[in-house]
Amino acid sequence: MTTTELWTLIPLLILACGSVLVLMLGAIVPGRCGTAIGVAACAGTALWALLAPPQPMAPPTLGVTFTPFARFFLAFFAVTAGLSLLLAHDHAARQGLKGEEYPATVLFGAFGMGVVASAANFLTLFLGLEALTFAFYILVAYDHNRPASGEAGLKYLLMGAVSAAFVAFGIALLYGATGTLEIGRAVAASAAGGGIALAGWGLLLAGLAFKISLAPAHLWTPDIYQGGPTPVVAFLASGSKGAAIALFLLILPPLGGIGPLRAPLWGLAFLSMTVGNLAALLQPNVKRMLAYSSVAQMGYVALALLSGGRGYEAAAFYAVAYGAMGLAAFGALASLEGETPLEQVDDLRGLGYHRPFQGVVLAVAMLALAGIPPTVGFAGKFAIFFAALKGGEAPLAIIGILTAAASAYYYLRVVVNLYMKQADEAGSRQRPTVAEALSLGIAALAIIILGIWPGPLFDLAAAILL
Amino acid sequence: MSQFPLISVMTFLPLLGVVLLFFVPKQSHSAQRGLALLVALATFVVSLPIVTGFQSNAEFQFVEKVPWIAAGPFQMNYHVAIDGISIWLVILTTFIMPIAILSTWTAVENKVKEYMICLLLLEVGMLGAFVSLDLFLFYIFWEVMLIPMYFIIGIWGGKNKIYAAVKFFIYTMVGSLLMLIALVVLYFKGGAGDFSVLRFYDLALDPATQTWLFLAFALAFAIKVPMFPLHTWLPDAHTEAPTAGSVILAAVLLKMGTYGFVRFAMPLFPDATAQFTPLIAVLSVIGIVYAALVAMVQEDVKKLVAYSSVAHLGYVMLGVFALNQQGLSGGMLQMLNHGVSTGALFLIVGFIYERRHTRLITDFGGLAKQMPIFATIFMIVTLSSIGLPGTNGFVGEFLILIGSYESELRWYAVIGTSGVILAAVYMLWMFQRVMFGELNNPKNQTLTDLNAREIVIMLPLLVLIFVMGVYPTPFIDKMSPSLEKLIVHVKSKQTAKAQIPQIPAPQALPAAVLPVEHK
Repeated sequence: MTTTELWTLIPLLILACGSVLVLMLGAIVPGRCGTAIGVAACAGTALWALLAPPQPMAPPTLGVTFTPFARFFLAFFAVTAGLSLLLAHDHAARQGLKGEEYPATVLFGAFGMGVVASAANFLTLFLGLEALTFAFYILVAYDHNRPASGEAGLKYLLMGAVSAAFVAFGIALLYGATGTLEIGRAVAASAAGGGIALAGWGLLLAGLAFKISLAPAHLWTPDIYQGGPTPVVAFLASGSKGAAIALFLLILPPLGGIGPLRAPLWGLAFLSMTVGNLAALLQPNVKRMLAYSSVAQMGYVALALLSGGRGYEAAAFYAVAYGAMGLAAFGALASLEGETPLEQVDDLRGLGYHRPFQGVVLAVAMLALAGIPPTVGFAGKFAIFFAALKGGEAPLAIIGILTAAASAYYYLRVVVNLYMKQADEAGSRQRPTVAEALSLGIAALAIIILGIWPGPLFDLAAAILL
Repeated sequence: MSQFPLISVMTFLPLLGVVLLFFVPKQSHSAQRGLALLVALATFVVSLPIVTGFQSNAEFQFVEKVPWIAAGPFQMNYHVAIDGISIWLVILTTFIMPIAILSTWTAVENKVKEYMICLLLLEVGMLGAFVSLDLFLFYIFWEVMLIPMYFIIGIWGGKNKIYAAVKFFIYTMVGSLLMLIALVVLYFKGGAGDFSVLRFYDLALDPATQTWLFLAFALAFAIKVPMFPLHTWLPDAHTEAPTAGSVILAAVLLKMGTYGFVRFAMPLFPDATAQFTPLIAVLSVIGIVYAALVAMVQEDVKKLVAYSSVAHLGYVMLGVFALNQQGLSGGMLQMLNHGVSTGALFLIVGFIYERRHTRLITDFGGLAKQMPIFATIFMIVTLSSIGLPGTNGFVGEFLILIGSYESELRWYAVIGTSGVILAAVYMLWMFQRVMFGELNNPKNQTLTDLNAREIVIMLPLLVLIFVMGVYPTPFIDKMSPSLEKLIVHVKSKQTAKAQIPQIPAPQALPAAVLPVEHK
């Protein structure tokens, strides 16, 4: 192994070794140092990804690269994983979830995401995707005290297996059509390739639609979001969605024009925006509602991807934006949960006054998801609709913006319950612990600061996609 | 620009108040009220040099332009300035805020700190929207106004507060999101550059594009005005909002809509303005007459005043779209008048509601005997609202009617005039039922007259009612160069006026919004 290869691999190694270390320490000194090691590993990865000097291109045989694109997403995944770990630490204690496997699996999931973002060929891409999905099979089912968690895990496993099959078959067909697994070359060659390449793209798109939960492949999302432990859902929403967006951004730009993929992607974007937003309108369960909201939000991302050009930058920006919003929303819910999970929107009544910090964070997240300035949700939506109009997708942009207006209703329902209704019983919900407050504070600050000052992140998104 | 950033200081001074409020202990309500009042007064004082330093010409003054977001796909500037169109609206805002804060001195006992924070944030949004010359910045401030108002209605409102707050939010949001799309399209049409509205003024857009963009902008503004038939959120919002909320809503927020027409929709899309003038005039006149008729049968004083707002704003729209000097200055003046008179009316409704906790007309009667000071003030404000000569309402309405009579909107003006009579009917009838007659309700026999605080709140408004009624010249003088420039601009750019304009078929939409390639 050359030094170049080693340097390329270091951020991934930190995550993987961190994961193993947490597991092994659990056997030797069972305690609760898993989170600390995990957060340290995440911080190390993020710092390495951001600060390490640029490396020469690793040989293609390695299968991963350390491009600016990979660095950007590695840092993002490491930060989301770290914040999720902080959220999970006290939440797990409250819900009686023991074991080092929890933080170890989160780290392993982050490792999978990092592999996806730095993949140079389709094989590592697939392995990374499977690694992160496997981590979530475990994490979603981790809450053994609640049957719903196990049920969610099973559903996610079945759906994930199906989608993995689609993705694998799609990759196989692309390989067959182009004769190479290297992403850039295979994608570029497939543009000229005939029916087989097209079939490959179709299957790939179908599989990825599952991963990113675009309607009509979204049906698993509400169940998983409702059943899974809330910090896991926060990680799922921010990290896993980000990984899927990164995957799209790896394979779509080399394609040049989006060509025959336009029609199916158009349909997916349209269905996601309408179905997601309409289904969320009357959903009384807050986590299911946020699940449908995530379907809709990914519909906006699909719109950005469809538009190409500036749209890719908008999608990268929105990955980060949605990451911050997802962490803030689910994180706030997680930090409110004691032994019993928080299920209904009604359960939030009056919490804005009894638990002001979490209330503010949740309200900020809701307003950001609704796309109200000056939040990152607005900046992201603006970039998406900007790119869509520029890319000539005016009808879909208008549909999108109308559904966004409708979505304000259900996001406001949360705010209404937080601030405009009286609580039945005061004080039954948790106050935030230090770790949770830190995590929520970072997410909420990111929402506001990136909303007022989005310029640097836009620059970064443009730079990594060059 | 090395000079003192007056506008920014004024706009963001309330934000400083918000920060300071965070450090005031939760229980010391009077400290919170005092601090908020102090900040609002300071903002008013800071805003005064804008009037004294304003040169009566058509140029933008006190300009501040700083690059803000110059990255990724777009470029925005923090670009603010004042001209004759915005100057009085800014002053109206800073003037009405201390009054609004004083008005709920005793009415809001719950979550005072949050209430004051909302009010001050609202002031930032309103001032920002009036001074922004960058469309993107304007949009941000426009939306920023929405959230504090939503909380003010939703938390401190009446029985149906949640319904009213959500309705208010959704209505405004639908309109503004379409405006956002139009704004982006406009940016593409303008080629490379920033979002400065001054740059967009010079664009030569083809009439079909103008039609669509105008519709998108006009929808956002028409909802805010509100114009018939988009007015239904207003009575709910007004009725449920606490007094300060109603006052600000009437005095300033509604003006955002009419200001939007004058600043953006009309000069940006001159051809579409010509094309839609008849439609807007029809809706304005319907608004005037319909709202007056509805106001007449209201049982609730606050609802009555809310509907009278719709009628008043109908006049403003009529005057603005007459697009001549009288009509426009009348319209602009009427915006201020409406802010003063209707603001005062809502304060008055607040006074009796605080005493009796009802607003039904039938619960009152004969109050004049019990509350003579209140009766006098109420009478003056009522007369100003119906436009009695000598009060401010008269000047505005008169100019509007003259202006629109001399324009193409002659017959609309004739019908609109009936609204003046109807206004006198519903206002005076309400006044009569509330203030005169037998004082036979025992609960009303113990009512106390206005206290010193309440009189202090009303005094500046009363002074303005007479000053603006007797000597409106200074107000008009500062506005008229800008208005003249606007009229010349819009009329000179109306190219397609000769031919009969046609609304393009829906399939023309993609062509209309296809971006122009950057050169």
